[in-house]
Amino acid sequence: MRGRRLLAWVVTGLIVASVPAILLLDSKAGSYSLDAGEVVLNLGAVVALTSVGAVLALKVPRNPIGWLLLASAAIALLGGFAYTYAGYALNGGHDLPGVRVAAAWNTWGWALQFAGLVAIAFVFPDGRLPSRRWRPAVIVGAVSFTMVLIGGMLWDEPLDAPFEEVQPLDVLPYDVASVTHNVGLIGMIATLVLAALAVRSRFRGAQGELRAQIKWVAYAAALIPVAIIAGTIEGVVLESEPGLLTELPFVGAMMALSAAIGIAVLRYRLYEIDRLISVTLVYGALTAILAAAFAAISLVGGVALGAGSTLPTAAATLVVALAFRPLRARVQTLVDRRFNRERYEGLRRVDEFLAEIRDGRAEPEATGAILAEALGDSTLRLYFWLPRDGTHADERGRLVAELPPAPAGRTPVSRGELTLGTLLHDPALAERPGLLDAVIVRAGLAIEIARLRVEVRHQLAEVEESRTRIVAAADSERRRLERDLHDGAQQRLVSIGLDLRHLEQGLGSEDDTRAGLDRAVTSLTEAISELRELAHGMRPAALDGGLAPALRELAARAPIPTEVVATDERFADEVEAAAYFVASEGLTNAVKHAGGGRVVMRAARRNGRLVVSVTDRGRGGASATQGSGLTGLADRVEALGGRIDVSSEVGRGTVLAVELPCE
Amino acid sequence: MRVVIAEDQALLREGLARLFADAGHEVLAAVDNADRLRAAVSEHGPDLAVVDVRMPPNFTDEGIRAAHWIRDAHPEVGVLVLSQHIEADGAVDLVSQSGFGYLLKDRVLDVDEFMDAAERVQRGGSALDPQVVATLVGADSQGELGELTAREREVLALMAEGLTNAGIAARLVLTERTVESHVRSVLAKLDLPGDEDGHRRVLAVLSYLRAQ
Repeated sequence: MRGRRLLAWVVTGLIVASVPAILLLDSKAGSYSLDAGEVVLNLGAVVALTSVGAVLALKVPRNPIGWLLLASAAIALLGGFAYTYAGYALNGGHDLPGVRVAAAWNTWGWALQFAGLVAIAFVFPDGRLPSRRWRPAVIVGAVSFTMVLIGGMLWDEPLDAPFEEVQPLDVLPYDVASVTHNVGLIGMIATLVLAALAVRSRFRGAQGELRAQIKWVAYAAALIPVAIIAGTIEGVVLESEPGLLTELPFVGAMMALSAAIGIAVLRYRLYEIDRLISVTLVYGALTAILAAAFAAISLVGGVALGAGSTLPTAAATLVVALAFRPLRARVQTLVDRRFNRERYEGLRRVDEFLAEIRDGRAEPEATGAILAEALGDSTLRLYFWLPRDGTHADERGRLVAELPPAPAGRTPVSRGELTLGTLLHDPALAERPGLLDAVIVRAGLAIEIARLRVEVRHQLAEVEESRTRIVAAADSERRRLERDLHDGAQQRLVSIGLDLRHLEQGLGSEDDTRAGLDRAVTSLTEAISELRELAHGMRPAALDGGLAPALRELAARAPIPTEVVATDERFADEVEAAAYFVASEGLTNAVKHAGGGRVVMRAARRNGRLVVSVTDRGRGGASATQGSGLTGLADRVEALGGRIDVSSEVGRGTVLAVELPCE
Repeated sequence: MRVVIAEDQALLREGLARLFADAGHEVLAAVDNADRLRAAVSEHGPDLAVVDVRMPPNFTDEGIRAAHWIRDAHPEVGVLVLSQHIEADGAVDLVSQSGFGYLLKDRVLDVDEFMDAAERVQRGGSALDPQVVATLVGADSQGELGELTAREREVLALMAEGLTNAGIAARLVLTERTVESHVRSVLAKLDLPGDEDGHRRVLAVLSYLRAQ
């Protein structure tokens, strides 16, 4: 690894150092000097290839692409060096070694100039062939490039200008050299076709990252024809010979291509390509359309109103200014539909969802699921921020103290100043802010509504919980009071009574005091009895044994015949207490209007609910609210998530039923 | 009569002990929880254990469980359970065994009746609190019990409490002979076995009442 890094630095250093050497030679080449345009073109290409090649060779030394770029730069420089070396020698009449080789290289060395880029096409972007089956293609390439080079170099064909005077090397017989060169050329064309096929096979059906990698290179490659057109137009407009200005767009395109390869291989801001393409296309198209509109209006107006009128120009400006925004949106949609399918589909899904919410066909809480769908990330989760609790909650209003670790991508969601929540998503989405941001902004209103609803739901749940807690607290308070009465006051009174009885024992049988003591004990007994009833009403101790015994005891105390059909199952304390109190109230009412008929109390578990009913066969016609203790009990029952039903038709008796959740 | 008392409240425990002492009985031990009660019963082998229902540590049914233990380990010992409140179900279960009693605590203030009940239990009879009996009888005043005369219902209730014919006669200030005829009439009307004056009669009456 260190060796490769060192090699990368050395190669880069050599390339950089050779540039001034070549320029120095060139300055002394006289009539053979390169013209400025060629220097700029070649230097630009070398700078682009070297810088990207060096970065890749240092960062991913195992990937040959960086080395291939550096080799391309070196070959380009070698070509430049061969030309200036031969030129310098011929200009000064210096007798230098290898002048003929250098001149021949100037004519035939072109074959190697793009060998590097063809090789990159085979191994882009991961540095490996698409599969082992492609090995012969690489061999064909290597052999044919070598044949073209060797055949040409050793031929006796005259050399290209300006070295037409230099004697060719002429080592091989004409036919051998010719066949070698031309067969090599055919092989080269075959290699180019194979390179294109290799790219196609690799990128067919490519998804995600690979797709973005291709897009980068395709985007940069597309700039080359643009550069050609721009250069041509420039030449025509300036009516000048091809020169510096004509070469500039090519240099730009070459730099862009190198940079695109670098970005694609390093995956640095890989997904920016979508936005880049989108922006380029949108503003390119927009500029073209608006410029055409401006020109057309100016022209037509000018003809109609006569030259020199400023009115057409003003009108054209106004039209262009007014058309800009709606046109931009329209063009953006068109471009998205064609070139940024994901963004287009994503936004369309969100728009659909917004329409569904408006029509009441969807709940805003589904926003998270819709975002997952729109962004194509099934791991995506949306958590809403509850500022009052200082924490997040899910769509059901359950607090989430700490966001789960996966998925690892985190994007805060806000609307204006308001923090709405946090989006957890696949980290890969973060590299595509164009898509993510656009979808979040579009879904902003739905997220805000969902957040408000989640907040309300959470607060409601809190209130319900606290109501349940209050009922449970009241129950345990009743239990405590009952205990205190039974075990405290009541027992103390009994022991006082016992003391009095003891005193009585010591008195003579005709003593008046004895009669007084006896009366005291009798009223004490009554007090104890009342106290016991009071404690019982507070919370019957029979409830300690469960609902069934408590109901049986209730029935036993009733002044009318009462049947009990109850499950022996146990339920939560507050559920049993609520059921008991409702049954007790129901029995009291039944006694009032049952007309002496039988009363039946039932208790059973049904579908996760405890259902307790009191049925009488009295005259009926009772109403749920009719001045009974039921109103107070309804609150208790609702606090436990249950409900009370009274059905009472005249002449058909009354059924009071209470249902309490008991999972 | 030799007595062991288990009651966690000190004042009441002392009061009970004195009550038995005043009545001429021997209090062998007065303890404050169920474990000590078991130990005392095993050590002294008393004629009667007087047991509070709620005792430390949980104040739920420690006394009831200790009572069942005594029944199994020392069947010869009479057990009188004292409760702060009525629990009809458990009480009837308990009293359906011979030598068992279940009374509300404040019954101790009616010294004569209480001592009568205690002695009955000690002799292998039974004692069920009148209030428990009242809920049993009261629940079915419309059924077959409706056929009984008021006097017969009174007699039935006292039978359920565990009283003997002599006891009933004393309580109602009647002759034993009159009581016997009432008892026969009740048993006939309710179709109960015309058994002699003992625990099996109590049992028959209780199971009849419970079935209603």
